[in-house]
Amino acid sequence: MSALTVKNLHVKIGESHILHGVTFDVPAHKVTALLGRNGVGKSTTLKSIMGLYQGTGSIELDGLQILGTPTYKIAQAGVAYVPEDREIFSTLSVRENLTLASRNKNNGDAYKNIFELFPELDTRAAQLAGSLSGGQQQMVAIARALLNENEILLVDEPTKGLAPKLVTEVANALVKVAHKTTMLLVEQNLALVKRIAENVIVMDQGRVVFQGGPENLNDPAWVHQMLGVSGGHK
Amino acid sequence: METFILIGITGIGLGALYFLVASGLSLIYGLMGVLNFAHGSFLTVGAFVGFWVASKMGFETTIPEFLLAMIIGGLAAGLFALLIEQLLITRLYERHIDQALVTVGVSLVVGAVLGGWFGNDLRMFPTPMWFLTAIDIGGAQIPADRVIYISTAILLLIGNWALLKFTRIGLIIRAGVENRHMVDALGINVRKAFSTVFFLGGFAAGVGGVLVSVYSNGVSPLIAGSYLIYGFIVVVIGGMGSVPGSFLAAMLIGIIKQFANYYATGLGDFVVVILLAVVLLIRPQGLLGKVRA
Amino acid sequence: MLRWKYSRPLLGVVMALLALAPILGDNPLSRPGLQQTMAVAFIWGGLALTYDLLFGFTGLLSFGHALYFATGVYVTCILINHEVVSWWLASLIAIAVSALLALLVGAASLRTTGITFAMVTLAFGEAGHVILERNFFNLTGGENGIALNANLIPQFWISVVNTKYIYWTALAAMALTYAVIWWVTESSAGRVFAALRDNELRVQVLGLNTQRFKLLAFVISAALAALLGDVMLLAAGSAAPRFADAGVTISLLLMVVLGGAVTRWGAVIGGIIYSVATTRMQDLTQQEFFKTIPKLIGGPIAEPAFVLGLLFIFVVMFAPGGLSGAYYKLRLRAITKKSQ
Repeated sequence: MSALTVKNLHVKIGESHILHGVTFDVPAHKVTALLGRNGVGKSTTLKSIMGLYQGTGSIELDGLQILGTPTYKIAQAGVAYVPEDREIFSTLSVRENLTLASRNKNNGDAYKNIFELFPELDTRAAQLAGSLSGGQQQMVAIARALLNENEILLVDEPTKGLAPKLVTEVANALVKVAHKTTMLLVEQNLALVKRIAENVIVMDQGRVVFQGGPENLNDPAWVHQMLGVSGGHK
Repeated sequence: METFILIGITGIGLGALYFLVASGLSLIYGLMGVLNFAHGSFLTVGAFVGFWVASKMGFETTIPEFLLAMIIGGLAAGLFALLIEQLLITRLYERHIDQALVTVGVSLVVGAVLGGWFGNDLRMFPTPMWFLTAIDIGGAQIPADRVIYISTAILLLIGNWALLKFTRIGLIIRAGVENRHMVDALGINVRKAFSTVFFLGGFAAGVGGVLVSVYSNGVSPLIAGSYLIYGFIVVVIGGMGSVPGSFLAAMLIGIIKQFANYYATGLGDFVVVILLAVVLLIRPQGLLGKVRA
Repeated sequence: MLRWKYSRPLLGVVMALLALAPILGDNPLSRPGLQQTMAVAFIWGGLALTYDLLFGFTGLLSFGHALYFATGVYVTCILINHEVVSWWLASLIAIAVSALLALLVGAASLRTTGITFAMVTLAFGEAGHVILERNFFNLTGGENGIALNANLIPQFWISVVNTKYIYWTALAAMALTYAVIWWVTESSAGRVFAALRDNELRVQVLGLNTQRFKLLAFVISAALAALLGDVMLLAAGSAAPRFADAGVTISLLLMVVLGGAVTRWGAVIGGIIYSVATTRMQDLTQQEFFKTIPKLIGGPIAEPAFVLGLLFIFVVMFAPGGLSGAYYKLRLRAITKKSQ
């Protein structure tokens, strides 16, 4: 049972043809990792699902076609997006960043969950988000995606640029979240991917070159060939 | 000393007028990236509608009647702004230069229509007698109408602050000024915020138009032009997207202009332009502006 | 080939006809009335082209271009009236002054980009306008401007009979402007201008000083505008503050958008059509039948800004390439049909 099905997605940005017929399934209630070297089109894929780029093909959320729908409607349909550069609002307080993202009135429970995951957000609620550290900003970005009922979470490189201790914190949070939801995770950090991915998609040059289980992640040769990095550490 | 106070306060009064024009421009540009040349038309529409309402009440109006005319003028301008936004601006989404050009077209058409129907001569705006009295402040005799301009501007500033800080739409606007695509990605239709901002900007300009007509001793389609230019200067010096910045800059410019004009007629315009050049050389993003990505 | 193979010869023929018409027997262009109208139209065509260099080619939306045009008019007029130098030298000095002014203003304004730049140029332009209107140093004649002392310029431009000389001067000035701008845009500097319009960051990354190139475009267009200002002085017979009005720059913007910002000839055609149309419209409103139209409709129509504003809105919304853009679209359709 697929939460998200992408078929033959072609996306052009300006004159550059970035995605060439991307096709994959994201199974429900599982974490799917979207892997590949830099520049192969992973972020573009997530952004296209979000409607931030236009393209041709098909993107179905739980059977509902969302390609061509305005971004805000896609979000309202239950697609939560944690972007690559966090993109939290620096002139708003932490609390304001969260209330902005919240679409229901009665989600006291959701807030409780978030403050359990990220207690710092509660203590720093009145602080301007722009003055937070990178790791704290990442927590805000993830937290606000969790405030509403989601069909799927699109997470783009959540540990990028973070110090090792923070990588662990964010990773732990994602692990806790993973059990409750469908997630499509773009991540370069293989250790994190190995911990939570139940399904793996690999992209190369705007195309999907592998879809399957996470077993191959333990094979350094496979990892080296597919992702161009030495498998195992980091 | 009295002269000093007189010039200072009339300068603030002038600054208040500039602020009314600039606040809408600043928000519209800050949130939507639209350089709104039709803003002068909002001024004129507000002035004419306010004038029409006021003239129904007689040659002279009481203060409440005047305020009513002013608010109705503002509402008319706001609605007109909303109309322009819906009909023209939304269809040119993200095409910023074209949006600016279309507003140029609107300003031409509105100016021609109003000029064609009513002619370009000044018509006296029916005002309360009280406006002509003088209030004693520190020995200086301040014309009472300045009090109205300054109070209106302060009310607008406070209202704007409250809207942005305490309402959901204000939150959306603040976030949108920083990153409108992310607001979209959070499931919020940021275009509704655009319409709100356009309406409010038009309202402020309309109210400003009524007051400008009083200040200039008459309603005419030709007056809006120079106020629009000053509005732009205020927005650039204050910082795009920052309403408090516009307030600060407007006050500064109003005061400087009055002082300069006291020493030599016409020097005011010149000095303001020099100030603009200086600000640009030292701090291109304006006093309270952020460097826009 | 997008360009029609006969377009260049056709242009040559048209120019030759325009040049010879005043002396080719009895045709509309042998009469002073139309010669004057067309002379002014040529000046506007050239001026629109100078604006096109700024906006269409380099992507600089300036709202203070009229200033340099007016500088050309005023400096020449003042120098001649005070018998400082001959007409030819006065014109050259005016062009130099205008270029210098553009250098100073540009250096300050180009610290900003896009929309802020537009506003800043507007402010400087208006400052200039105000200076001219207020008769600083008793030089600029205030609101009414200064009338050119006709006795102090070469006589062949004086009197109605000699309107054709003004016509030819205007035609020559427009042609010269076109030639200079053609040369500039086809040169390597010109390619940088076009690149700046599309993507400034890319140009910077190439190691080029974008500021200097923008300033170059700014100064060149100002100098040419001043040249046309010199000719306008002849055609109008006086220098007036209205030449520095922001409305003039807006009209230029209209001309360029209507004609098509992408091409050179589009801007020129836009300028000529605009100029002739506004003159003719003014005549139209003087006609008897016009007075019978109800004021509700007739009032606005009498103002040129009304029709032009509507046209402008229409072009921006539905035909952003203007006349030349539409022409090239049709051309492309014709070519692709032929190759099928």
